Amino acid sequence: MSENPKAIPNKVVDLLVSEVLRKNNVNIDSAKSNLNDEQKKAIKDLVEELKTQVDSFVNQSPDKKE
Amino acid sequence: MAETKWRALDHCDDHKNDADVDQENTQKQITKQESNEWIIVRDSEGVEVTTTDTQVALNLQLGIQAAIVAVISITIGDNDQGNNVAQDLKQFMKTKQSNRQKTIIEGSKHVKVKTTDTDIAVNIQALLQILVAIVARLDVL
Repeated sequence: MSENPKAIPNKVVDLLVSEVLRKNNVNIDSAKSNLNDEQKKAIKDLVEELKTQVDSFVNQSPDKKE
Repeated sequence: MAETKWRALDHCDDHKNDADVDQENTQKQITKQESNEWIIVRDSEGVEVTTTDTQVALNLQLGIQAAIVAVISITIGDNDQGNNVAQDLKQFMKTKQSNRQKTIIEGSKHVKVKTTDTDIAVNIQALLQILVAIVARLDVL
């Protein structure tokens, strides 16, 4: 189970996210300004944690039952 | 004479083997399955079942979804605009979850079964990609 292809190409996901933000007239700069350093760090840690969990799930799965 | 169906556990009748121990293990494996994935083992011995831990996957999925909503709420705001963005992204997250697999092993010996819930693994990866894409756009990563 070592090979782990991306579910969707990253470019497609980027396009999708951009489109959703554009469609809803989101001002990215103002959104960025709503984040202070503490929040940025918290989000970054959260994403890293989730990444680790997903990697371990995808690579270990299927888990052997007792 | 009527033909007798071969049964894997026939030889257990002589009480000289430990096949009942194997069967005990198999039972334990079955009860741990999620209800939407059925693995039925009948009249068999030495069956090894390996399966995806669906509960872990679902928890992980909820965690990522919550993170996406939280990030949107902080940056765009808990207002119509933020809700619409979350709603639009949810359209893509709404993929079918159920993993309906039925595996029946009958009259078999020494069988190894491995089932994978590919859908849920792909789904989780896709959700994580969405989260990473949003966060990257906000210069957090």
